Amino acid sequence: MIIKDALIYVGKAVLFGLIMAAVIIFILPLITGQSLTNGITSRVSTSSSELSFSKAVRRAAPAVVNIYSLSIDQSKPLNPGSLQGLGSGVIMSKEGYILTNYHVIKRADEIVVALQDGRKFTSEVVGSDPETDLAVLKVEGDNLPVVPLNLNIPARVGDVVLAIGNPYNLGQTITQGIISATGRNGLSSGYLDFLQTDAAINAGNSGGALIDTTGQLIGINTAAFQIGGEGGGHGINFAIPIKLAHSIMGKLIKNGRVIRGALGIGGEAVGPVMAQILNIPDLTGVVITEIDPNGPAAQAKLRPRDVITEFEGESIPGVEMLMDRIAETPPGTKITMTVIREGKSYQVPVIIGEKPVHYN
Amino acid sequence: MKTKLSILSAALLSATLTMAPAVSQAAIPLAVDGQELPSLAPMLQKTTPAVVAVAVSGTHVSKQKVPDAFRYFFGPNAPREQVQERPFKGLGSGVIIDAEEGYIVTNNHVIEGADEILIGLHDGREIEAKLIGADAESDIALLQIKAKNLTALKRADSDELQVGDFAVAIGNPFGLGQTVTSGIVSAMGRSGLGIEMLENFIQTDAAINSGNSGGALVNLNGELIGINTAIVAPGGGNVGIGFAIPANMANNLVQQIIEHGEVRRGVLGVMGQDLTSELAKGFGIETQHGGFINEVMPDSAAEKAGIKVGDIIVSVNGRSIKSFQELRAKVATMGAGSEVEFGLIRDGDKETVTAVLGESTQAAEAAAGAVHPMLQGAKLESTKSGVEITEVAQGSPAAMSGLIKGDVIVGVNRTKVKNLKALKSALEDQKGTVALKIKRDSTSLYLILR
Repeated sequence: MIIKDALIYVGKAVLFGLIMAAVIIFILPLITGQSLTNGITSRVSTSSSELSFSKAVRRAAPAVVNIYSLSIDQSKPLNPGSLQGLGSGVIMSKEGYILTNYHVIKRADEIVVALQDGRKFTSEVVGSDPETDLAVLKVEGDNLPVVPLNLNIPARVGDVVLAIGNPYNLGQTITQGIISATGRNGLSSGYLDFLQTDAAINAGNSGGALIDTTGQLIGINTAAFQIGGEGGGHGINFAIPIKLAHSIMGKLIKNGRVIRGALGIGGEAVGPVMAQILNIPDLTGVVITEIDPNGPAAQAKLRPRDVITEFEGESIPGVEMLMDRIAETPPGTKITMTVIREGKSYQVPVIIGEKPVHYN
Repeated sequence: MKTKLSILSAALLSATLTMAPAVSQAAIPLAVDGQELPSLAPMLQKTTPAVVAVAVSGTHVSKQKVPDAFRYFFGPNAPREQVQERPFKGLGSGVIIDAEEGYIVTNNHVIEGADEILIGLHDGREIEAKLIGADAESDIALLQIKAKNLTALKRADSDELQVGDFAVAIGNPFGLGQTVTSGIVSAMGRSGLGIEMLENFIQTDAAINSGNSGGALVNLNGELIGINTAIVAPGGGNVGIGFAIPANMANNLVQQIIEHGEVRRGVLGVMGQDLTSELAKGFGIETQHGGFINEVMPDSAAEKAGIKVGDIIVSVNGRSIKSFQELRAKVATMGAGSEVEFGLIRDGDKETVTAVLGESTQAAEAAAGAVHPMLQGAKLESTKSGVEITEVAQGSPAAMSGLIKGDVIVGVNRTKVKNLKALKSALEDQKGTVALKIKRDSTSLYLILR
């Protein structure tokens, strides 16, 4: 009875409220002379300050630096060297650590970092990781602007983003677009796993910031991957997700390089045909297609057509997961994998090796 | 009690419901959760009629020196140059800025050398336009059409723009027909590109392509913020780097053209360079952006205002400047006689001085063809006695009319003309044959323009 009373009471209030709301919604536009369906123009007058990314730009842009190389031509000993615009970078901490692309700095003899306030610093390379095309620089300076960062906000397809950099060495430029695709954040990630955006990114934007509309860093732009070669402007650009970039940065600061575990195999996902041929019950796992004769897998007597189904007790659904697990395991670690060979399951111990780094 | 409560909760609920759209409005067009998608269509309905297509046709005159060997065959009186004429057609865009007067702003490079300029209005009308004046160094031209029911764009204060603001480009790329593209302001005060002599561009990532030149860059209110002018295009097309002349700068130039028929460049009388971090360090100042003054001309506006060598000019009329080039572009487009406030740093202290800009000694050469078709090919300059012909292109209409370098136009028919503006207005109403009174060396003569 009490419940029924209460329900009636609440129901009445809700109904009355809804009717009131409907009336107000209907009347309000008539009062203010605006139509709610009048689109963007009606809103501009009331909230023009919100209709701009200038706040986000002000928060992040000072921390995006221009990177120049002081190239010294060995064949001309008297030439003092010239400043050449290479790309962009992002100041990540008060200590002066700067994230940029490896390809931006890889051929530079001496690196000069220019802040938007006009200050210039010569800088050292803390470490490089060609695999993810990242490098960390360090400058010594006071009151360095630092980019806002939140590693826990994942970028979603459709999110509005801004790219900040120095395209064609024109000076700092902000371009706008959306996240077109997202990829993985694993340690074995390559270009195609990265964030994809249609914000204009051109030569010189490399190493610059991709930020969200609140000014927080969500990726490091890289113009290195251009469909159709030089020129850009196709609306297909890539950025390294900040979560991956940040973890790589930590490793580079700690070790000067990124240490990745290696197994010394090539493999592919188990497809339906392969499953039938190899006589295995389901489609999970990675079938070995190649073996490095000197690698850890060869030492453990693994061979092609073996199927890896578990890594340290964890089942392996596909190639990417296995690659990440291997890369994340410190070299020298002894691990156990479950391998199916000729329909029978084996536990195989393997000592993970180190993946060699190729500074190309 | 119950009724009171229910009315109260009803009021609260209705308030919440009506507030909901208001809260999300502030975030539009970014947060679209459950709300209607934002559209620029309502704004564009009002603005697109003000953007026109500009179709030009004319003749490109290219000159080739005749080799001496040929002169040997044709005798000493053979022409030294071979003049080649190639007809051309061009397409661009323009912006109606005054519906009453029919004034249309476009780029100089859109209409340069054109014999005929045809305006295509949004409603389908095609109207021939008259060139009122143009400025090659800043790449601005003013046209006029006689038509009713025009729509003009209101101008926004382009100095108020901030990097990150939305920008919408309206134009006629590749002659496709009117096209609207959107983006943001990527940078302000862009200079040093080598596109124009005077550069102070708004940079935008809204797609601008060939044919967009002279078109409008507007804000979300549909107000003009810039005239789209150029792009960086390594592959020929847009890569998200476009440049627009700020609406304020364009307006300064247009006002001068309306008033004088030409741009009367303001002159401050200083030489300088960008403030670099090295210079800033050397002078012990914190500011890193500005124009460093190397030299002040005697008797110049700068000297009269008390600007000294070693000063760093950091603002013009309260707006900070980034580079010496930006300072140069701003001053040169403000017009002679303008009163301008400069913020500067001297010996580490901030000061402001006010200068009245002088007139350029090399008076702007007007587009002679715009003054009279038969004057095309001549360069005109206002002098003390009249309008001097400083150059005549061989084989041009001006040369065929009999004008030679050094002639001074002092009258039209029976009217005396003292300057370019007077010449222009005197020729304006003359249809058919016109007699120009010329001073050549110490003699007077009449030349007939047909």
